[in-house]
Amino acid sequence: MATTEIYRYLTVDETTEVGLDPEGYLVDLTQWTPDVARALAGEEGISLDEAHWEVIEVLRDFYARYEMAPAMRPLVKAVGRSLGPDKGRSIHLMRLFPGSPAKVAARLAGLPKPSHCL
Amino acid sequence: MSNAEMPDGDLLVILRHGPHGTSWLREGLDAALVGAAFGRRVALLFMGEGVLALLDGQGAGALGQKGTSPTLEMLEMYDIETLYVEGPAMARYGIAQQDLLLAPVALEDTVIAELVERHALILTF
Amino acid sequence: MKLHIVNRAPDAGRAVEQALSAMAAEDRLLLIEDGVQGALPSLVDEFASIEGRLYALHEDLEARGLMNRHDERVEVVDVEGFVTLTEQAERTLSWY
Repeated sequence: MATTEIYRYLTVDETTEVGLDPEGYLVDLTQWTPDVARALAGEEGISLDEAHWEVIEVLRDFYARYEMAPAMRPLVKAVGRSLGPDKGRSIHLMRLFPGSPAKVAARLAGLPKPSHCL
Repeated sequence: MSNAEMPDGDLLVILRHGPHGTSWLREGLDAALVGAAFGRRVALLFMGEGVLALLDGQGAGALGQKGTSPTLEMLEMYDIETLYVEGPAMARYGIAQQDLLLAPVALEDTVIAELVERHALILTF
Repeated sequence: MKLHIVNRAPDAGRAVEQALSAMAAEDRLLLIEDGVQGALPSLVDEFASIEGRLYALHEDLEARGLMNRHDERVEVVDVEGFVTLTEQAERTLSWY
């Protein structure tokens, strides 16, 4: 569930700010754009390249279909199905989205926080 | 289905409520997803009114509450693929296998106790 | 041995039927809250298949004025007995 309360604002460019919840997830999921993803990634110290974008796309498809952000295991499975077994591995996602890939990637993809992982 | 075919599992979640009327179904599915996300082998048993959770063609609630179907379709992504349904409850609601969104194994009442016995943890919702 | 706990009246839904169908041969069933209505002699036949393994909570019977109306085949336990039943069971399942 997305929280409805804005905790802080993220500056996307000179004319755009988006509201974030206390954990840094978008409050209004419809505000997501690739620029928002770049700005969020900047906060994590991640520079988005093709390998990131294809995972973000898998996540957005997952959410459109299942209405939930995936925990790590289903994320790995979904990435493997869409992008092939080489990429459907936790190590690949750990490199792209260090720390907690399911949470970080969901945040950048403009999804709510995954509800089934710690 | 004979007992020998029934796998032992870590967690059996028994879903005994239909969609929308209460939050029990959603809470039960959430518990199953958490278990699976942590690598437990999870099985679901749809019992009584819970068989309605499996019905194809469900939608969102009148006030826009989430429907159950997307979550049911997501179960396989969490490797939750051991699904059982209480056969007599299906008969009571006049529901046949082809009316269901997923393909659970229908169990007679006499086998349910055995299924419960084979799981280390059982949660009823 | 598992302990099954039913807190619903026999007339309210299918908690009793569901609990009974999930019970293995050694399992016990404890009636609490409105579930204790099932201890009435006119209703207790529903539990015929688990005779000797049916319990009802004293406090809930008493609160409902059912204490001396319950069937003698039901073993009445107090809260302490409830705790003991729970301790003796490997697992506890609630049916509500």
